Formats: sequence, structure tokens, C-alpha cells
Amino acid sequence: MKSTSIDIARFGRRLGTRSEGASARREIVAALERLPDDGQLTLSLHGVDVVSGSFADEAIGKTCQLLTSGAYGNRTLIVTSPSADLTEDLSDKLAQRKLAVLCHVEDAAPPWRVLGQLADPLVETLHLLMERKSATTKELAESLGIAANACHNRVRHLVALHLIREERVGISAPNTQYRFHSITA
Amino acid sequence: MELTIESIEEVLSHLYVDGGRDLDLRSVTFIDPYALLVLDLAVRDARATGRPLRVEWPTLPAVRRWMIDMRFFADTKAVSPDLPLRETGNALQPIMSIESERHVSHLVAAFERRLSERFPIDDAPRRRFLRILLELCQNIPQHSNATGDVPDPHGIAAMQDYDDGVLLAIADKGIGFRRSLALRGGMDDLRDTAAISSVVLDGISRFRDPGHGRELQRIFRLVRAWDGTIAIRSGGALLYHGPLGGDLYDVAPFPGVQIALRIPRRVFGIGEPPDGEPGVAAGGGSGFNE
Repeated sequence: MKSTSIDIARFGRRLGTRSEGASARREIVAALERLPDDGQLTLSLHGVDVVSGSFADEAIGKTCQLLTSGAYGNRTLIVTSPSADLTEDLSDKLAQRKLAVLCHVEDAAPPWRVLGQLADPLVETLHLLMERKSATTKELAESLGIAANACHNRVRHLVALHLIREERVGISAPNTQYRFHSITA
Repeated sequence: MELTIESIEEVLSHLYVDGGRDLDLRSVTFIDPYALLVLDLAVRDARATGRPLRVEWPTLPAVRRWMIDMRFFADTKAVSPDLPLRETGNALQPIMSIESERHVSHLVAAFERRLSERFPIDDAPRRRFLRILLELCQNIPQHSNATGDVPDPHGIAAMQDYDDGVLLAIADKGIGFRRSLALRGGMDDLRDTAAISSVVLDGISRFRDPGHGRELQRIFRLVRAWDGTIAIRSGGALLYHGPLGGDLYDVAPFPGVQIALRIPRRVFGIGEPPDGEPGVAAGGGSGFNE
């Protein structure tokens, strides 16, 4: 998987307005476009002092909306931040759009957290897959103690949000078989 | 007589309901930044609309001095009392204009510098305060003249510290919430109280895009959670909430949006000033501007 990173600090230490966010989004989207279909873009908040909700929504929220619309194939996006408080408004804005992004927070334990809106059962499934690195729906359902059908719905939702990656592993009638991968692996 | 978030409505009522053309402020002993910005806009509005307005400015030297230090007379171009401008005074952050998005980062940097020069502020509350300031300031170029028919929305901001907190005020005389929401379609017959409620309590903006709106809703909730005071005024409606409660009120019609946040000092991680240090309570009560 090819990955690339953008330091959000290149747009400024204090990021506040929507027009600043729209300018940043143009560069973020261009970086996404340069990635292969399964590539991953990391947005780093290191070196940034403040990110307002308006900037975060224009730069990151709208980019995530484009990702989940399928405009950029199976590309994924993650965020890294030196502190949790830097991501507060971004998380609120993603929740407003009913989106979610994985964020690695340096000063947090555990360091990976979900920004935005994601129902508890989905968070539970996501964390399990992050621990295992990869699994099938059947394996996840067994570990979670839930019906395969319910687990299937959960992983489909996580795939749609680009929080996990799916891999087609073969066709076994009547259904296509998939293996799911953590994007933080 | 004190001019504060709570009492400035009497002045506006006198001017905009009773049609008063004289404003006697000679006995004023205290003005907070919110009242100062509202006065600023009222003076400008009278001038812009050709409405005669004769103002008797406060006679108390401390109040006059503070108004000068806050650059009130420089901003309004009203006749200034004959006192020289001091470089250092009690004024925390004098009035600054927000004319475009380009001014926002400059203004926020200035406010942060003034605040951090006066207090050692913890990093997390400093960042939270700056995020609030960024959102409130950018609302002015984003929304105050969204219809394009306001010659000068005149966005301004100021800040002052007191014994019990820091008071941040941001104001404009633009189109206000009601006319802004009318641009959304389907919300063009709201009253001002309904418009303020839609924007602040329901998080609706003039844009249908789901990422827009809710900033004022979040700020409103945050200030309430801090036991601070928040006043958001637009047109003929005022949403006020303080430590003792609050409500949505019908008030005198006045152009634009005016916002005040009174944030307790503990939110910034700063204690009350030691005994003997000049300072007054922001929440009214007896006090002077020095």
C-alpha cells in the first residue's frame, strides 16, 4: 500500500477560516488523486497550534465526504495529532457530517481514536480488527459473539466510511469471500 | 449608571423604540466591552442613516480614559474628550475591526498576545479560546453582508479582564440572523426570536451543507458549561444566559449581530487578582473602568 503524508502546518500554525480550509483542501485532494486506488493519505497536525471547526470542515470534513462518496476509489485517510484537544472541533464537524476518521494521538492511551460519529458496536468491531490486523466476517463475528449477518452489516458500514479496507479473496458460491484489513496495520 | 451586557438594552430601547435623539451618558460609572461595541455601532448607525444623535459622554475620568484606551473615539470618529492616548492602560484589547477574512488571523493573534501578556494561560484553554475567537470573527466576513446590500457591516471586537473573568465582545451591524437564514430558502418569514433560536439552539445556518452551522450552538453550550455568561443579540431578539439562568427576549430592533462572552478566570487557569490590584467585577455591581 502506498502512503503519503501532508503536514497541515504548511498551511499555517493557526488555522481558522473556511477560505483557508478550502485552499488546504485543494492540496489534500490533489495528494489523494496522486495515490493509487488503495493508497493512504496521512494528515499530520504536528506543528499546528489551533484548528477551528470551520477550517477542519473545509479541509478535512469535505475531503472525507468525497472519499466516502467513492470519488477516490478505496483510498483511505488518517490523521495524526500531538494532542487530543487539537482534534476536538474536527471531531465535532465530522460528527455533523455523520463521518468518522481514525486519528493517532500521541499523548493518549490508547493512541488510536475515532474522530467524528461512529456507533459503539462499530467502534467495537473496528478496534477488534485493528488488534487482529485482518480477519473475515466470520472470524470477527465469532470473536464478538454476534451473528454473522449482523457482523457483515458492521463491516460494510466501516468499509463505506473507509475506516477499514476489504480484499476479495475468492468466490465460494453463493457469496464472494472478503477479508478485511485494518488501515492502521 | 453602568452600561453592561445587562443594561445596554435600556439605551437601545431609548434610541430605537422611543426614538430618542439625545443620549446622556454623563453619569455612567462603568462600561463593559459589549456595551461599548453596541454604543459604537449605534453612533455609526445614526450617522449612516442620517438620524440626529447627540451624545453626552461620561464625565468620570476613569471611564473616559478607558473609552479612549479602547479606541472607541478613534473607531467611531466621535468627538473625543480631551485626554491623551496612553500606551499602557487598563484596557486589555482595544477595539479592532474585522473587514475581511484576511483580518481574522491578525485579530486573533493580537487578542492572544494581549491576553498572554497579562496572564500566564494554560495551553488547552488558550487553544479553546482561540478556536472560539476564530469562529466568531470569521462569521462577520462570512455572514454579515451575505446579501451584498450592507455598505459597511463594520465588524468589531474588543476584550477586557475583570476580577471574575474575561469579557469578549464581537459585534457588527450587518444583516443579522433573520435575513441570513432567509437566504437558505424556506426560512424567509421568521421572527428575530425564531431566527436566533434556529441559529444558536438548533445549529442551523444559511447553508444546507451539513458541515455548516452549529459553531454558535457549540460556543453557547461551552460557555454555559463553564458557568459563564453569553449574550447573543440579533435584530429584535436577545438570547441571554448567565450563571443564574437565562431566556430568549424580545428587545429593541437593532441591525446586525452582537455577541458577548463572559468567561470565568478559572477557565483560563488564572486566579483572581490579589487584594489591592485594580479590577472590577464584570457582572455589574459597583466598579470603575480602572
